[in-house]
Amino acid sequence: MNGKPLRVSETEAGDALGAYLRLEQAIDSSLKGVVSDTESSAQSIIKQLRRLHDSAVTLASYLDGTDLQGGDLGKEIIESVTFLSDVGAFIERLPGKMERDLASVRSLVAEIRFLSELTSDVKAISLQSHLLSINAAVEATRAGAVGSAFKVVAEEMRRLATNSSAMAVKINKGLSRAQMIVETGVQSTIKESAEQLADVTKATATIGKLQSNFEDMSQYYKTRFSVVMKHNDDLVRDIVEALGQVQYQDVVRQTIERIRSATERRNDALRTLLLTPCGDQEDADLPVQLELILGDYLAEEAKHRHSVRQTQGADAPLKVELF
Amino acid sequence: MAKTIMIVDDSSTMLMSLRNSLEIAGFKVLEANDGSVALKTLQGGAKPDLIITDINMPQMGGIEFIGKARALAGFRFIPILALTTESQQGKRDEAKKLGATGWLLKPVSGTDLNKIIKQVLPGA
Repeated sequence: MNGKPLRVSETEAGDALGAYLRLEQAIDSSLKGVVSDTESSAQSIIKQLRRLHDSAVTLASYLDGTDLQGGDLGKEIIESVTFLSDVGAFIERLPGKMERDLASVRSLVAEIRFLSELTSDVKAISLQSHLLSINAAVEATRAGAVGSAFKVVAEEMRRLATNSSAMAVKINKGLSRAQMIVETGVQSTIKESAEQLADVTKATATIGKLQSNFEDMSQYYKTRFSVVMKHNDDLVRDIVEALGQVQYQDVVRQTIERIRSATERRNDALRTLLLTPCGDQEDADLPVQLELILGDYLAEEAKHRHSVRQTQGADAPLKVELF
Repeated sequence: MAKTIMIVDDSSTMLMSLRNSLEIAGFKVLEANDGSVALKTLQGGAKPDLIITDINMPQMGGIEFIGKARALAGFRFIPILALTTESQQGKRDEAKKLGATGWLLKPVSGTDLNKIIKQVLPGA
């Protein structure tokens, strides 16, 4: 001290030291609080990350189930649409079949018409037979008793001609009715079928569109599903990363504990100084003690490295070393 | 069948972080908050496939634990990793001599830890 008086009195120095130690105590208490707070926060983060992970797993499981159910549903829809497509293809072939059936009906009508024309010939034959029977009856009468038997034959011929004519008329009427029924029915059927077939053709086109839309939709959801699963995988990976990063709290805790240990030793030295009467040996030892505490603190600090901050440079310890 | 990993650390945060990371990766986890507790667990019949231990712990440190665990029957070849902030080469050498499989500095990310586990625990 070069024999010069101190700026502060011994009492003031003692008060200052006492206040300093109280401040240190308060800081130490805060540091303990920091350790406790970071520990509590880190553990809360871990719990929340785990819940997040569990939710991601639940989502993945849900999506997996949905994918399977969607796959089954899609398979059923495809089967149904394929069936409808087959029906549509059959219906599309139907006009050709109907056309062939119609040609057969037209042939039938032509046959009926031909038969109808034959009844005219039957009528003509009947008329001719009738005239022949009248002539035969006249000639039988003229022949007298000799022609009486022939007269009976002539009468039968006349009756036959009359019956044939009546039958021909009946057949002709029947054939005409049949022809009318077939022609009217066929025309009506053709008209209705043409309208219905137009609708069916539209329905077939709609089924085709439905199939195409379903395939597009299915592909769209497959892509979406794949994207969501990728995001979910990324989420799980990030959660695992974050869980590892939370280990910083243990590193911080240990760093603070080393600081607290050094400051506690320093404060003990100061407290001893404060309580030791003037002139005792300990006064002179204080700087030595503080240097010792500093040296120990730095040595202890050097033994502990942060794997990210302090593992760079040529002499840095390896972050991971497998023996 | 899921492999079992024992984690030994006096920090409850470390235990919680490791437990969750490892469970997510599909492992079963055994915990001990000190080397002495871990040793008793092993002596009690637990047979983990891998042990990850801290080095500086209050009752029994990691280095002592590694030496004593290696002396137990059936634990000669089970991989033991040290996970610590301790970075003295002397401590590493001592751990290696006593049978440690590797030395990792905290903090280790979940992805890195899983990669290392796959290296020392084939089939994990």
